[in-house]
Amino acid sequence: MKELAGRLTALDPDAGAAVRVIAYFDRLAESRAGVEALVRGAAVLAGCPARLVDPERRVHVRVEADGTRRDTEAPPDPAWPSAALSPGGAGMLWLERGGPGGLPATAQDTRSDPAEPVAPSVVEAVILERAAGAVRLVLDRTRGRAPADDPALVETLLDATAPEQARLHAARRLGLDPAAPARALAPLNGRPRVIPADAETAPLAGRTAVEAPVRPQTGPTSQAAAPRPAAVHGTASSETAAATAAQPRPVRAGGTAPARTAEPAGPAAQAAPGLRTGAGTHPVTEQAAPRPRTGPTAGPASAATGLRPAPPGPGLPAGRLGVGPAVPVLELPRSWAEARTALRFTAEGTPQDPGPQVVHAEELGGIALLAGLVAPGSEPPPDVRALEAAAANAPWLPATLDAVASTGSLRAAAAGINVHHSTLQDRLTHAEHLLGWPLRTPQGRLRLQLALAMRRLARP
Amino acid sequence: MTHVPPPFDPELAAALELIKDMISPGLTPDEIAEVRQGPGIQMLADLDLTMGGAFEVEDRQVPGPEGEPDISLLICRPAATESAGPRPVIYHVHGGGMVIGNNRVGVDVPLEWAKALDAVVVSVEYRLAPEHPHPAPVEDVYAGLLWTADHAAEIGADPERIVIAGASAGGGLSAALALLTRDRKGPQPIGQVLMCPMLDDRNDTPSTYQMAGLGVWDRTANETGWTALLGSRRGGPDVPAYAAPARAEDLTGLPPAFLDVGSAETFRDEVVAYASRIWQAGGVAELHVWPGGFHGFDGFAPQAAVSQAARGAQLAWLRRLLGA
Repeated sequence: MKELAGRLTALDPDAGAAVRVIAYFDRLAESRAGVEALVRGAAVLAGCPARLVDPERRVHVRVEADGTRRDTEAPPDPAWPSAALSPGGAGMLWLERGGPGGLPATAQDTRSDPAEPVAPSVVEAVILERAAGAVRLVLDRTRGRAPADDPALVETLLDATAPEQARLHAARRLGLDPAAPARALAPLNGRPRVIPADAETAPLAGRTAVEAPVRPQTGPTSQAAAPRPAAVHGTASSETAAATAAQPRPVRAGGTAPARTAEPAGPAAQAAPGLRTGAGTHPVTEQAAPRPRTGPTAGPASAATGLRPAPPGPGLPAGRLGVGPAVPVLELPRSWAEARTALRFTAEGTPQDPGPQVVHAEELGGIALLAGLVAPGSEPPPDVRALEAAAANAPWLPATLDAVASTGSLRAAAAGINVHHSTLQDRLTHAEHLLGWPLRTPQGRLRLQLALAMRRLARP
Repeated sequence: MTHVPPPFDPELAAALELIKDMISPGLTPDEIAEVRQGPGIQMLADLDLTMGGAFEVEDRQVPGPEGEPDISLLICRPAATESAGPRPVIYHVHGGGMVIGNNRVGVDVPLEWAKALDAVVVSVEYRLAPEHPHPAPVEDVYAGLLWTADHAAEIGADPERIVIAGASAGGGLSAALALLTRDRKGPQPIGQVLMCPMLDDRNDTPSTYQMAGLGVWDRTANETGWTALLGSRRGGPDVPAYAAPARAEDLTGLPPAFLDVGSAETFRDEVVAYASRIWQAGGVAELHVWPGGFHGFDGFAPQAAVSQAARGAQLAWLRRLLGA
């Protein structure tokens, strides 16, 4: 009977192997076995290594066919048979079987030339389905259903007056590695959030900044974004492309669906995990936007303003969002304070309130000091009052000035708001008259940028 | 007294689901013949004895007890010729409740040790009850030890470094062998590995009642095994220690012992008691009671976490014993 379990898949499936698999996992679940035991069960019964990856909960368990725990950094091969822990969730269980050596595929490979999935046997499909279901229950029980959503734990983590032990405990309960940096998120609407620093799926370096997602006046961008939901929930190939665009990281956490046999094939089950609840908006927009806004490249001070919109990654709250700096877990209260400051520099992205919906505190630089000088709801400084008065006369003015302040050239600004270059020149002449200072000199552009920033800060 | 059993370890409970059609907790005398031919024993014995070419394997016929038939020894020597000198020997006694099995059964465990420790494995075939009641089995086991010690040089082994080892009935026979060779001033093993050993014919500890009808080898099976070995003497006043080591009055002068057992098995209490009595006699013993383990769990479900821990403890003890 030794190694009987390991030989199960060699049995004729009709001889009751599937029934035994079900009994095996039922028994594990009944006796409240842990995640590793469940993954081990999958590995031993399938006779090949099994791997559980749940990036949201920071769970990574890999067990070999002989039951030995041996984790690896290498990404899963999309060709392996796999099952999502829950429809649309990021967590996946893989059976590392088939394929020549299980070569890791990159995101690009997956999009252009998907690896041939290995059809799982009946027994393997049952193993995946039962093990994934049991793992989900255990994770829900032990790690929390939605780790980042437990308000009490997040509150503790962000409270500088809470004891350090309590904050470290809260971090662990939230699935955070207490030794790894994290950052606080301050959404305008919604509770504070904390995410691992490396979970940021919108890398800031080397990236072309893009439009904030809702800019009705910028036709091409919004049109490109509009069909997104259909694309995401449509065919597997468009979903894969979307996942590739959304998550350029190596761990794609099952963005490819073809081998997912144990899940019902509904659209929800196939949705790439990072794309729930519209979080894929920005990457898709980024790919499609014909004239990406090029961020704070205009004027000497612009490099320090950091007001370019950086799209939130998958899973980040929609709407205006301040992103705190990456800090050690115990310094999260500071990250939270800076995230709230960054939130004040965000805008709705509408014609009347143009600007970035997402602002990273780390990119504000000295501009952040303005936040201490202009209190919300206070009497606005004179330049802001001048802006408001001008906007009352000319509804196009805020969006136009924001375009000028945040692009590298007037030509780019004109393109960004879809007006002819000469029209922009006319508008600026008019605006200079209304405001009383020049807008086409370096000094004037700095004054404009400061005025626009203070306008956001002075909002109640 | 409550008979509520300790729960099985989750992974072991699940493994029982897989083997329950081949292994039942109980065993009655009229089922012995059937089990001997059954697929379970075949599978236990179906091993690559060379461990992928690591061992050279031979079966040797050697003299049995005085006036009795020859016995067969399975001898597995490391294939690598270079060695620092004569190798230690794992002298293995198979399990099977005194009534079933052969010298292949369970030998993969000492072979794994021997691979790690550069040792020779000798696994003895002994006559089975009820056809051959006590003292046939233990005398065969003793005869094999005599040959191994006397012919150690022939098999590249060191007669001064023999460790006796066995699981279940093999553990009981190993414990009996340690008593027997102590008293006869035969070869002196340097250690005894008693894995879930079958030690007490009286079959009346709390754990024998707690685990009735559960797991592997319950009190019904235990009564079958002991009755086969001892007949009507089982449980009575005149059972010798060489048949049931729990009966021994004197546990002094024994080689260091390693004992392990599951908390959820028939033998739990008798194994814990035997270890305690070794300590009380001034001896050396290491005892592991693995929580939620059924009888032979590490053999039936070697992949389980608790089984890996149990196997690791066995090897670690041997490393310390042999200084390897």
